Amino acid sequence: MSADKDVMIEAVDVNKEYRRAGAIIRALAEVNLKIRSGEFVIVSGPTGCGKSTLLNVLSGLDLPDSGRIIFDGENIARATEDRLSRLRRQKIGFIFQDFNLVNTLTAIENVEAVLWPTVLRQKEIENRAISALRDVDLLDRKDHFPAQMSGGEKQRCGIARAVIHRPRVILADEATGNLDPESEKQVMDLLKKINNEMETTIIFVTHRDLSKYATKTIKMDKGRIIKVQ
Amino acid sequence: MWRKAILLSLREKKVFTIFTLIYTILIFLTSLFWDLALPPSELSGAGFFLPIFFVTSLFLSLLYAWILVSRKRRVWATFKCIGYTNRNIISLVSGMILFTTIIGFVIVIEVLFHYTAALTYLQSADFLLIMPTILIRLWPVIITSGLFIFVQILAFILVYRKVLKVRPIIALKKVGE
Repeated sequence: MSADKDVMIEAVDVNKEYRRAGAIIRALAEVNLKIRSGEFVIVSGPTGCGKSTLLNVLSGLDLPDSGRIIFDGENIARATEDRLSRLRRQKIGFIFQDFNLVNTLTAIENVEAVLWPTVLRQKEIENRAISALRDVDLLDRKDHFPAQMSGGEKQRCGIARAVIHRPRVILADEATGNLDPESEKQVMDLLKKINNEMETTIIFVTHRDLSKYATKTIKMDKGRIIKVQ
Repeated sequence: MWRKAILLSLREKKVFTIFTLIYTILIFLTSLFWDLALPPSELSGAGFFLPIFFVTSLFLSLLYAWILVSRKRRVWATFKCIGYTNRNIISLVSGMILFTTIIGFVIVIEVLFHYTAALTYLQSADFLLIMPTILIRLWPVIITSGLFIFVQILAFILVYRKVLKVRPIIALKKVGE
């Protein structure tokens, strides 16, 4: 366990390999990393450098072959699937490149869906969803379906979904990859605001240069961290 | 979660309508043939169709379960990413299947009720009709629907197995990847 109370996520000697078409690909090699509470971390590097694998491993979506992942004081490298699901529900918000909104649900229902399995009453869930949509300036679109929204609006809806349960960490995988520069700026400004106001730790994987938003930048290549700034 | 399963069912308009319609027809026919096979009708050969209808119902529920899980793998993977357990997702999918059958049952009851009401009215107006006032008794419909729901246990097992296989990591892959 980490002795540093301020550390939100710690990776210790993490290794991960994949087999693809008979070849072994080393996605993560001896990765050691500390991310402190409230940091805005940008993970960048060329395609196939292991940055998405790092994100998957840090969130418990994928398990490392060896090493430890200490998430908020708990080693999740060998946790059960149910435990990881609960951890994600309580402490992690996800933002996806392809938005991953449910097409048959309206914006507000997509945001509310995070809290459906909880014991909260529908009214409380609705109030929280309205508040989250207001924070991302999308309240006037709450009854619209994803097909009726632009890419930037869909991603803001995705951000509202990621923050409704007030997570301690937000993980974003190429979250601006499908957006035009103006929408990208809106999304990044919004994430910066969330990071500042809610003190949410943000880990943002990208191949673009968005380092101006970060408090820490991590550069990766061939499964290794080559630079931390 | 059951209320949300109903919401998700209703929003899947095309699939929901088709399967509800098929279930309605199947429950109606099974109940009718069951009623005909029993006294006072005791129509010979009517009972022969009952196992066929139940096997069809089993096939139908398996097909519906397969469609709901396989066609929406990315949705369930996303739900896993945002903190749903396997149990939460199984509740949603099972609820969607169950709701469709229950709606089929309600439609059959509704149709039979209106049929009886219309026949009773026509008879009271001295129309001579050769059709019975009660087309199907209530209990064959209830038992048929109950058995259809029981048969769905196999579909729920299929859902369980398929949902376990959905890896949350799928949600992070690009569309079409």
